[in-house]
Parts: sequence; C-alpha cells; structure tokens
Amino acid sequence: MQLVLTVNGMVHEIEARPTARLLDVLRDQVGLTGTKEGCAEGECGACTVIVDGQAVNSCVMLAVQARGKEILTVEGLAQDGELDLLQQKFVEYGAVQCGYCTPGMLMSAKALLMGNPVPSEQDIRIALAGNLCRCTGYSAIVAAVKAASGHEATPAMELPAEPAELAAEVTTDPDTLAAACEVVEAETGVTPGGPCAPSGLGDPFAASSPEGGE
Amino acid sequence: MIEDLQYVGGSYPVHDVAQKVTGELVYGSDFSVPGMLHAKLILSSISHGIVKRIDATRAEALPGVVKVFSHENAPMEPFSRARIHPGQDMSFYDETLFSAHVRFVGDRVAAVVATSKAIAEAAAALVEIEYEELPALLTVDDALADSAPAIHEGGNLLYEHEIERGERPDLEGAVSVTTTTSTPRVHHAALEPHVCIAQGHSTGGMTVWTTSQGVYAARTVIAELLHLEYHRVRVIKVPMGGSFGGKTEYIIEPVCAFLAHATRRPVKLLLDREESMIATMCRPATTTTIRTAFTPDGELLDFEAASTLDSGGFAASTPDYSVHMCKKVTKLYRVPHYQHQGRAVYTNTPVGGAARGWGAPEMAAATEIHMDRVAAALRLDPVDLRLKNMVEPHDTDLVTGLPLGDARVRECLERGVVAFDWAARRARPAGRGRYRRGVGVAAGAHKNGMFGAFPEASRMGLKMNEDGTFELNASLHEVGCGIVTTMRIIVAEVLGVHPDLVAAGEADTATTPFDYGTYGSRVTYVVGACARIVAERVREKLLLAAADLIQEPVERLAAYDAAVHVKDERGRAIAYRDIARLTEMRAVPGIAASTTYYAVSNPGSYSVQFAEVEVDCATGLTVVTDFLAVADVGRAINRGMVEAQYQGAVQMGIGYALYEHLDVDERGRAGVDGFKNYHIVNAPDMPDVQVLLVEHEGDDGPFGAKSVGEIATVPTAPAVVNAVNNALGTELSELPLTPERILSALHGEEVPCSSC
Repeated sequence: MQLVLTVNGMVHEIEARPTARLLDVLRDQVGLTGTKEGCAEGECGACTVIVDGQAVNSCVMLAVQARGKEILTVEGLAQDGELDLLQQKFVEYGAVQCGYCTPGMLMSAKALLMGNPVPSEQDIRIALAGNLCRCTGYSAIVAAVKAASGHEATPAMELPAEPAELAAEVTTDPDTLAAACEVVEAETGVTPGGPCAPSGLGDPFAASSPEGGE
Repeated sequence: MIEDLQYVGGSYPVHDVAQKVTGELVYGSDFSVPGMLHAKLILSSISHGIVKRIDATRAEALPGVVKVFSHENAPMEPFSRARIHPGQDMSFYDETLFSAHVRFVGDRVAAVVATSKAIAEAAAALVEIEYEELPALLTVDDALADSAPAIHEGGNLLYEHEIERGERPDLEGAVSVTTTTSTPRVHHAALEPHVCIAQGHSTGGMTVWTTSQGVYAARTVIAELLHLEYHRVRVIKVPMGGSFGGKTEYIIEPVCAFLAHATRRPVKLLLDREESMIATMCRPATTTTIRTAFTPDGELLDFEAASTLDSGGFAASTPDYSVHMCKKVTKLYRVPHYQHQGRAVYTNTPVGGAARGWGAPEMAAATEIHMDRVAAALRLDPVDLRLKNMVEPHDTDLVTGLPLGDARVRECLERGVVAFDWAARRARPAGRGRYRRGVGVAAGAHKNGMFGAFPEASRMGLKMNEDGTFELNASLHEVGCGIVTTMRIIVAEVLGVHPDLVAAGEADTATTPFDYGTYGSRVTYVVGACARIVAERVREKLLLAAADLIQEPVERLAAYDAAVHVKDERGRAIAYRDIARLTEMRAVPGIAASTTYYAVSNPGSYSVQFAEVEVDCATGLTVVTDFLAVADVGRAINRGMVEAQYQGAVQMGIGYALYEHLDVDERGRAGVDGFKNYHIVNAPDMPDVQVLLVEHEGDDGPFGAKSVGEIATVPTAPAVVNAVNNALGTELSELPLTPERILSALHGEEVPCSSC
C-alpha cells in the first residue's frame, strides 16, 4: 500500500505492506538507521521515536498508524549540524557508552521535555522507565536530562576541542623556524615551503635538487 | 599522592559520541553490503535428541529463498568457539556449524538464506524437522546420574580439577562454617543482539564484519573451518551495542562465514532477542559449597571449596571459567590453607561461557555471603571480620604464586566504611513492619590480563602525520566503555598533545597488528601499557628529529604542548607540525614506531561495595535504596568513564542479585524469550550509585592504571544479598532473591500490612 509519512519535517512516499512496522519502514525504506531494534516487543525502548509529540516504540507501531502524522527520529534532533541541547548534554555528562540505547533515550527524554520543560528527577526516571540501558546505570543519563531542563550540575566530561583551534595555538618562533629550514635546505637543496619560504612561491625551475632517478 | 598529569585523569566522552547522539554511527545491525542476503537460524525445539529428517522442499520453493543449510550439506568438522590462538590448550572441539545431535532448546539445526529477512523468516517456518528424542538432562545432578546418556562422547563430566595450596593448620578450637551458594544462568543483555556480515569473494577469500570482542581469534576459527589460508580471511570489527563477554566467543561468525562462502554472496546474520538469549551463550549457573575454619576472634585458618558449573550443551570456555573460580579468594584474603575442587558439567540447557568477571562474580557471591555468615557466627561486624583477613599491598597470591601488586582492597574498605557511614547504618534497626531496611558490604578481586596463564602481549604502531597529529594503529575492540578514548589519552599524555590530536582506529586483521581483543581485563593494563611505550618511542624520534632541525643536543629538549621546547630558553620552540613537515623532506626515518609489549605482571584489581536495601515483606520485592562502590583502579585514565562504567556494573550486579535468571522448564525450554519476562533494572529502580576511586599508581599499567570493567561488577550481588539478609535476619544464598524466595525465607511470618 501507498503511505505518506512526514519524517523529520520531510515528506516521504512509501510503498509498504499493511503489516509493516514503523521501525522497519524508517530503517529500511526511509534509510534512517539511527532508530535501533533491541527486543521487537516494546520492552527496551531502543526504537523510540516521537509521533505527534508522543514517544512511541516504533517496533510495536504499524507504519500505517503513523500516516499523516509528524514523526521525529534521532536524526531530526540536530538542526543544521548544531546538536540539540539534549544531545549536547548527553555528550557533556558522559551519558553515552555503547550508545545503542542512546537514540531511544534521547527521544523519550525529548518527548518528556516537550510536554514538561522542568521535570523532577522522578519524572525523568519514570519517562525513561521503558528505555533499558546495560552500560551506564542511568545516573549520567538522568543527569544529562536534568541539565537539559535547566538543572545544571558539574558536567562530567571535557568537551572535545576543535582540532583546528588546538593546532593554531602552537607556533614555532621565527628564528628557530628559519634555522630549521636552513638545515633542511642545506641537506636537500630544496627550500621548504610554507612559513619557511621568504617570498611565497619558490622558483619551480631552480636546479637546486637532483632530477628524478636518484 | 599521585603525580599530576595533563590529560590522564580528566574526563572525556567515548570517541564516537557525536555519531552516537546523532544516530549516524553504523552499528553491525545497521550494516549492509550491495546484494546482501539474509540468514535465519532454525533452532532445536527439543532439549536432547537426534535429527532424523530435515525436509526443506517447501522452504526452498518459496520465491527469494537461496538455500537451506543443515548438517546434511554443511561441513561437520568440529570447532571450539572459545579458542583464541591456534593449538591453544583448554579448547574443546565439541560443536559443529549445525547439529545432527541436538543438545538444548536453541541448538542450531539449520539456516535459511534468502533475499530478505522476511522471506528467510517465512521460509524457516516451512522447514520440516523430525527428531528422535533422548532423555533430557536439565540439571547437573541429572547429567551426572549413573544412568544418564552421554550428551557428548566422553561423558557428561566435562572437566574436573582440584587445587590445594599451603598447609592446613591445627584447627583445634576453631569455628567451622559451611554454606552453599548458587548463582543463576543469566543473559548478558547487550542492547544490540548478535550480528555478523560476511562476504565471499570470487577470489576465494572473504571479508567478515563482526561485532566481536576479538577479530584475530574469530579469523582462526573461520579460516580453519573453511580451510582457507589466514590471509584470505579479513575480519573487521564494526561498532557494537555492548558485549559484556557475550561477544567474546565465536558462535555466529563461523556460521555466517560458511553461508557466505557457500553462496559466494554477502550474507547478514542478525539474531533477534530470543535467539541472543538462548542460542549464543549465557553466564553459566554455578553452585559453590564453602567450608572455612576461623579462630574465635576471626582469623581465617582454612578455606575449602567445591564448585559445580553448569556448562550447558557445549563446553565453550566453561572449563577455563571453572578453573578461574579457584583464583579469586586468595587474591582477596590471606589464608594458610586453600583447597578448591571444581567441575564443569554438560547438561541439555543453553550454553554457558564468557561473561563479565569470568568466574569472579560467581565466586565473590559464594565467598562474601559466606563471610557474613561467619561474622554472624563469631558475633563480629562484617567489616571487622574482613579487615582481619584481607591481603596487604605486595602480598603474593597463594594460588597463582603471582605478586598481587599494590593491592589496596583494605583501603577501599576503610574509606568506604567512612563514606557510607557504615557503623551508624548497620546499627539502625531493620524494623519489624512491612518494609525492612538493611545494609550489606562485599569485597571482590579480579585480575589484569592473562599474564601468568597465557602469553600476554599487545602490539601497535604509531606515526606522526605531516601536520603534527598522530595516528595509532592497533587492534582495538571498542565495546562501549571508551577504550579508544583511553588509548588516545595515554598517547596524548606521553606526547604532550590534546587527545583530540590523536586518532586511533579499531581492529581489522588486514591492517592492524595482532592483538587478542577486549576481554580478560587486559585492555587498560596491557594494551594501554603498549600504547604508552609506543608513544615514548615516537617521542624519542620526535626529539631526535627536532634536535637535528634546531641543532641542539637532544638532552636540552622537551616535548610538550604540541612543540619541542629548548629547556631553559623561554620561547624557543619548534611546533610539532613544523618538525613533521620538515622531517618528511629529509632522507631520515619517519617519526613513527611500532612495538610489542609483553606483560610483566598481573596484580589484583579490587572493589568494595556497600548496599542499602528496603524489602517489602508483603510482596517480597526488594529495592536498592543507596549504593557506594569503592574502586582500587591504580589510576583513572578517564575519570568520568571509570565512574560511569562502575555505575553500569552495579546495575548489572543488582540484576544478578535480585531479578535476572534464565531457567528452563521441565522440557528444557527457557522460561524467558525476551525482555518482557527477563527483567533488567530500569531507571526508576536504580539508586544513585556513588563511586569512590582509590588511586596509588603502584603497578605496571600505563601511569599506574589497573582494570575496571570486570571488577566493577564482581562484589555487587553479594553486597545486595548481604543487605537483604541483614534486613530480614535470613540466610538467603540462592540467587537471584526473587520475591518467591524472599517470602519463603520469611516462613509465612505474619507481616504487618500497612496499606491493606
């Protein structure tokens, strides 16, 4: 049968069997494999997505039941490459280990915060009751959701720095660099480029180095 | 107390965290290859018997079905799923790709290969199988009965061993206590079920993508079974959703590789939850009887134990697992005489095998429940009894003869007692009402790699790139606890760059050097030590290269902050990227190194844990209300992840103590088939777990670090059980403490019921 599904704001026309699970359609036909399968019986929550604002287990929902509704998956959380606040807090608070439960955790937490922006810890734990995790013991996950709802604690993790920033911090002092370049030039007959070259491009025809073959 | 370091001891997320929170990471179960077929296993529906007839006619007639494989058309050469090295001892070749003699409900009988998963599943239902049933031996006692038929040639007593160390002292006037503790068969419950993808190539070789904890070992099993030279088989570790030991052994990889080899097509074998539960392997069920003798004031004189392990239908690693149960007590307590008999027994139940802790959680349960019984008999506080007998740093393990290293279990206990306010909590009455509170403590010991039992080594290469960044080439197997990040931190610390400037990839037999994998508590201690050494070699080369470039003796140079600095000359430095690009131009060796590190020690890792519980005497339900885990980690490489891993390990241990069990019914069928009837502790039922790290950096791991992942769960269950026994005044020692067991231990006591 023909289905029209709105997933992360984008409309998809899909041909699916009437018995197709929403999970399979999302993964196999829409191509969004962020939504995971852990149990196929609505117990582990790895397949949680948000349908019209409600967190649902997509392994026990037929795709046809989502027809005409707004579906939000983990891939729809970040906007223009910018992580959603909840995703950021999962990173900062060390809420991710193997990460297989993470998409479902995020979607259950997102649905909670959409309905209740300032939940208590008990609200959070209950909202995540249907999402099993075998790695973390939930503490970091609960702390991340709390932080995303304004209860900031001390973030557990150091955020990854931008590598470009890290590299730019370190420069060689000009005298040392010039001396090093001279050593290389004396040894190879080639003036090293980059900051060593006094006037940008060197002379490509300078017969300073042996021709190929040696 | 410990040297202050720049990156080690900080807290960093797992390396692929951004891909995990966005859903971008392609796990094994997400992985596909063009033209890929899908396989579905057909599992035995009976617990013991002979396959008399398989009729695949109707299944193979279904459009989209490529072929049905079984013992009739697959190789019947036996293999060992637990072997990690060619020719290795303690490997039991008792298993074939498909069974003609089925040994448990869940044994592999056949597999359907089809163009889609749905077709493979539909076809599997059409395969007709007739069995001749044999008597089912569902318990160890049944299997060891004189009249019992042999589950495997050679009988049902798979392996027997005994160890005795020291001299039994004079026991005149000693107090003797005997207990028997049983631990359940449990499911590892990694959230991602087992999955493997294999592609047969027209060259005769093959590529296997697997969520395994050890790809080199997977290759020895696959290549030898398919009679391929090793270089034709490339096994690649792909991202996985948890393992906990359940993906250490090679169960579905040989099957999937065979299907791909036979069909010359890519084949994906993805198990469902029930298949992962019953058809891979479980933590084995054990029973241990301990008899000890103590002086009246609590000094341990004699420890004698007998353990029986239920191996299930195949040996897997259970003989070695059983042996390792004998190597736990003497890491923890001083005793003049230690004797331990063990046996592993075949039964017609799901296979037992590698699980987080490798015998330590089982033995800790038996030992620490026993210690509480002794404390009661001697009228001593459980803490005091343990303190009287615990090992001291640099003791020798009586059983293995290995030094225990900077063993800080005593300090864990002493600091935990204060942090948990043990004395005050223990003195509080449990109450006589419906809800009763109790506190319990337990200690545990584990190892650091395989040194002493197996040649333990790690190999890796490290190179500097032209822009001054680094790439580590190692056979890492990330299971989710951040080992890639751990290695990056270690290399970064040595080389004086931020960990984000160090890349580290995962294992691929075609491109990364030989290494065993992520198990045996070996990664931080052994692989991490290798990372430190290879980074030191690269640092030497980096300094020599810099010395040449800036014409200074190497003794005057120091590498830190991504530059080589001239000591005592402020501001005179050459950035790593300038050293790298300039050195690339010279006719000198590159700034790279590769090394093999052989482990030189295997100290104890320790944890002492404290639990407070509330038991509802009307329903028998127990809730853990507070928990403290104290950890002797030597030195935390990645502090936040160590704490997080401990929190998860405690959750697993609480499940082991209270909820989880995979029993079989009278016909051998598992009583569970999914998470609806197999209860993993969820968020509302978890206490906030406090983690206290004890750091001394006294051993040979990188910067003094020791293992974390396994020891973290070792003492959890007995701490919880001891707390329940404290709350109820009971002597429960059969895990898990289900409501039925708790209510029956109360002997029908009239419980005041406040809410009814």
